[in-house]
Amino acid sequence: MSHDEHGQHAHHELSFWERYVFSVDHKVIGLQYLITSFIFLLVGFALMGLMRWQLAWPGTPIPFFGALFPSDLAPNGVMSGEFYNSLGAMHGTIMVFLGVVPLAVGAYGNYVLPLQIGAPDMAFPRMNMMSYWTYLPGGILMLASFLMPGGAAQSGWTSYPPLSIINPGQTVWLLSMVILITSSLLGAINFLVTTINMRAPGMSLWRMPIFVWAQFVSSVLLLLAFPPLEAASILQLMDRVFHTSFYMPKDILILGQAYAGSGGGQPLLWQHLFWFLAHPEVYVLVLPPMGIVAEIIANNTRKPLHGYKTMVFSMIAIGVMSFMVWAHHMFISGMSASLSNFFLVTTMIISVPSVALMTCLVFSLKGGSIRFNLPMLYALAFIPLFAIGGLTGLPLGLTVTDIYLHDTYYVIGHFHFVVVSGSIIALMGGTYYWFPKWYGRKMNDTLGHIHFWGSVITMCGIFAPMLFMGMGGASRRLYDPTAQLHNLPVQGWNVVATYSAYALALFQIPFIYNFFNSMWRGEKTVENPWQATTLEWACPSPPPHGNFEKTPTVYRGPYEYSVPGRKDDFWMQSDKN
Amino acid sequence: MSQTYDPAAIMNNPDTHSGVTNAKLGVWLFLASEIMLFATLFTSYIVLRMASTSWPWGWDVLNVPLATVNTVVLIGSSMTIVMAYARAYDKDKGGFQKWMAATILLSLAFLVIKGFEYGPKFAAGIGPHTSVFYAIYFTMTGLHAIHIVGGIAVNAGLLYMSTVDGHWKNPLFLGRVEGAGLYWHFVDIVWIFLFPALYLL
Amino acid sequence: MSKNPDAATHDEHRPNVALYVKVFAALMALTLITVAISKIHLPPAQAVSLGLFVALIKAALVAALFMHLWGENKLIHKALWVTVGLGAALILPIIDFVLISGQHTSRADVANQHPPGHAEPATEGH
Repeated sequence: MSHDEHGQHAHHELSFWERYVFSVDHKVIGLQYLITSFIFLLVGFALMGLMRWQLAWPGTPIPFFGALFPSDLAPNGVMSGEFYNSLGAMHGTIMVFLGVVPLAVGAYGNYVLPLQIGAPDMAFPRMNMMSYWTYLPGGILMLASFLMPGGAAQSGWTSYPPLSIINPGQTVWLLSMVILITSSLLGAINFLVTTINMRAPGMSLWRMPIFVWAQFVSSVLLLLAFPPLEAASILQLMDRVFHTSFYMPKDILILGQAYAGSGGGQPLLWQHLFWFLAHPEVYVLVLPPMGIVAEIIANNTRKPLHGYKTMVFSMIAIGVMSFMVWAHHMFISGMSASLSNFFLVTTMIISVPSVALMTCLVFSLKGGSIRFNLPMLYALAFIPLFAIGGLTGLPLGLTVTDIYLHDTYYVIGHFHFVVVSGSIIALMGGTYYWFPKWYGRKMNDTLGHIHFWGSVITMCGIFAPMLFMGMGGASRRLYDPTAQLHNLPVQGWNVVATYSAYALALFQIPFIYNFFNSMWRGEKTVENPWQATTLEWACPSPPPHGNFEKTPTVYRGPYEYSVPGRKDDFWMQSDKN
Repeated sequence: MSQTYDPAAIMNNPDTHSGVTNAKLGVWLFLASEIMLFATLFTSYIVLRMASTSWPWGWDVLNVPLATVNTVVLIGSSMTIVMAYARAYDKDKGGFQKWMAATILLSLAFLVIKGFEYGPKFAAGIGPHTSVFYAIYFTMTGLHAIHIVGGIAVNAGLLYMSTVDGHWKNPLFLGRVEGAGLYWHFVDIVWIFLFPALYLL
Repeated sequence: MSKNPDAATHDEHRPNVALYVKVFAALMALTLITVAISKIHLPPAQAVSLGLFVALIKAALVAALFMHLWGENKLIHKALWVTVGLGAALILPIIDFVLISGQHTSRADVANQHPPGHAEPATEGH
């Protein structure tokens, strides 16, 4: 056997460091990603908690925490405008690049994908480890940018120049982005090679679970969309550090001083390159959660997914189209009007496969005998909440309505419905669904129900008011919303959103307690507690090093539930009879 | 921890294995992302050039003869690394080491010539801040030079590994040489486009 | 083969040294041609398209024969086509700048931003 040539099959006892810290086992790395990205989500959420105080009660000192900040950030406990800008930029960056994407791809993809295709590990275990150990320093560097003179980056997660190039914190933001992108690229290559080459015998492409397909398409997007941002970030870094002028127009004045570089650059170029990544990125945020929801729904309706192939083709169509829709973020940027029309059309086209996916999920419910267990509640909540997020996006994809809505709270409400009450709800459902596999124990049901209902209701309490405010014309990105008369009529909604946000924070406590408590004290479960059909349930919980006792052979598609004439209502992919 | 998992069951299964080794597929996917990286830089170059009223001609502001020599050197190194692969394929260790060492020397020569090209520029006070043209020139050639440095590291690693019997006799070794070669040829291709774009047109 | 499946011996390409030498000679010739062309002052459109064409031929030679794309596994071809297809979307920013050029952009006179007198002395005049 060639076992000893591969480090991961060595038979010697692993030390603590090799087993839990610098592990090459995809399961350990997946859990490392899981815990780290949940922590980053909490950090991003905490930043937002500070901002929400300022938005609801502008100019009043922040209770408890206000005194902790240095006086240049929050004099007398009142948040300064610069600090507010930093918080906004870092909230977006952390949530997208350090929270949701690593959670959806790094954590779930790493842990579940090799199991679902019947592989012993990822194709490049050591590269997998490197990918985590570049992600973590990149994330810490991003957080450390608060220590820069003038605070962290202040130009939003989109970092539009010329504004972004003024701030020293931006240098750290860009360096950190380059590191994070490298980590993502390593991960994406690994996922693609694993999916292409490491499937168990019999696991043909059309027998792969939807979740694997979702990860596959997401990885293609990460692989091909991230390098342009890497290049764009390098150019911006040059602007920051070496005073080049890629994005700096000529004759620009900064605080009355001429810019040190030559000028002659194009700010709009950054917007194009940034959104070239950032729109596919949105689908990276959305597709894996959709895959999770599909797994949970098939499992708990006890019937095959409606339109498995339709869903796969829709995902591929979304993947391809997502490279041609980015400029709908730029309708009011001064780009060419005829190109706006092009992007309007492609945006309407990409909504078709998105709706097809949602329709398949809804039709999958039809005629099923639904088990309303915890993961299923999350999956069911995903469908309407994500639909609200998706459908409120349509007016933003049409140039005419976008011109009115673009710089209002409506945009914020829209994408938070998509990412928070869509993606994050689905990812939380995924935690409840795969927790028995990770630790061999179940999470507590009562606490889970408190977490579920609390989160869903408060999420709507945060983001629905944003939609109302936006339609009322309230401008986004403002430090003090009461400073402009046109924002005043809807200011009450800001207070509602802030109270909801704090309630949402409280409702995460049962989840955190439940997670760690169940790790050691949860109710023990069997190998396949949900009576599921996919391969991750055909190995012990938690799976040993190398995952499967022996190579599984796959005999059928992923969702053979309630097959007529069989005693059990599920038929595992690896069961011959 | 004894286990009977048999990777051969997967690797030799035509339904689920593409027939390309993991390493080679990984290198090609990495190159795909690199293509996007440099394509973005070329896009930026085109945009900046088109959005300006005038653009300097390479012969006027850069040292074209030196860059031509560099082109010859880099293409030569592509030739030597493919020869190193051919020698490794025939299990000729001495030949492999000779050609690989030649590759590394040529790539070092490339960097030295590059230094001779940068030096007078900096001495004359010309840097990336001077104009958009120099900004794109220094960024693209600099990024390309970083890729060269990475390639030298990989090639030097392979040269060292060939001296260790355990690595040289490893059946994976030839695949590693091929992967390093793919990367090196890609760096060459990038230069093939950079050279006319910056110096000649 | 089952002894070490990673090796997949059928995967490596048999080298063809005589071919490599020919490719190398062709690349050298094309390099000289492209430098020579640039010395004749062609109108920009022709100069750019000719230069790009020569570069494309050189890149194709390297990719097809040095990198063994000729006769490579179809999967690699597919992956590259996907990359090229999605990368083609990068033309859209260029189109945007063509369309808005002069209206919404501040155009710089790049050639005259250089400090005078520091031009690299060309080996021969043109």
